[in-house]
Amino acid sequence: MTNTPNRNGDDAWIDGMLDDLACMPVPETPDDLMTCVMEDAYGMLPAPGGRVIPAPWWRQVVDGIGGWVAVGGLVTAAATGFVVGLGGLDSVGVTTPWTMTYETYYDSPGSLDAFGWDMEEG
Amino acid sequence: MPLDTDPHMDDADLLAAYARGDAGAARLLTVRLTPRAYGQAVRMLGDTGEAEDVAQEAMMRLWRVAPEWRHGEAKVTTWLFRVVANLCTDRLRKRARAAMPLDAVAEPEDPTPSVESQMQDDARRDALRLALAALPERQRIAVTMRHFEGAANPEIAEALGIGTEAVESLTARGKRALAAALKGQAAALGYEEG
Repeated sequence: MTNTPNRNGDDAWIDGMLDDLACMPVPETPDDLMTCVMEDAYGMLPAPGGRVIPAPWWRQVVDGIGGWVAVGGLVTAAATGFVVGLGGLDSVGVTTPWTMTYETYYDSPGSLDAFGWDMEEG
Repeated sequence: MPLDTDPHMDDADLLAAYARGDAGAARLLTVRLTPRAYGQAVRMLGDTGEAEDVAQEAMMRLWRVAPEWRHGEAKVTTWLFRVVANLCTDRLRKRARAAMPLDAVAEPEDPTPSVESQMQDDARRDALRLALAALPERQRIAVTMRHFEGAANPEIAEALGIGTEAVESLTARGKRALAAALKGQAAALGYEEG
């Protein structure tokens, strides 16, 4: 069998060779091998109740929440809630630097930092 | 077989059950994973005897690692694929040091097309196996996982601990290296130059 490698497409040539290797027929797994592997498995079988190292605590938390996607959603929701919460402070009468009008700003202790000049100049 | 060994359990759960001393889990894992390891080894080595040794050794390593297996850190099949690939590579590299050049291989005594074609197929596969063994580990794993396991980029990325975007470039570099290694043998492998 003679093939011609495509000089402009090495990938196709190599893909073909790799696919040929991947598709080659594999004989049935010999019974002797299965027996040997089973014997090894039984020979090395830990005593009942043997030790299993648990996953690290942070992974247990992540898995408990529902995985990394859930953690991402939780972080996004928390950040959004925080920003919304800051914006709503004004409506409950809490004065913050970003909700002050000029009048409240001049009366606040924060106005002393630059004598209000920075705000008047825009 | 203990009643708590569910045949539908995933491999990691079975491995955890094995580590707790569950003989049923040992049996299920053997039946599930040994043919897989053997098939991969046969493809990579082209020698059933050696493939049996590799499969047994890989499974032995699995039993050994079971008590320390951290659930969720890797897929058992991916871990096993990597172990088999590395064991095969060690053998192929030893084989390469003792190998004859392709040109020195004797012509078949029975030059009928089927025999000649079969020998050429074998030579082509052997050359590819040796070229794969010469690749850096990450390129080799990326290329073989893609073609032998049909693995998608995220799975390869997880196996190698790299980003999904890096898989494409790793695979492409691997294939370029294979092409470079095999081009010099094109005529011997039945490929026409030009």
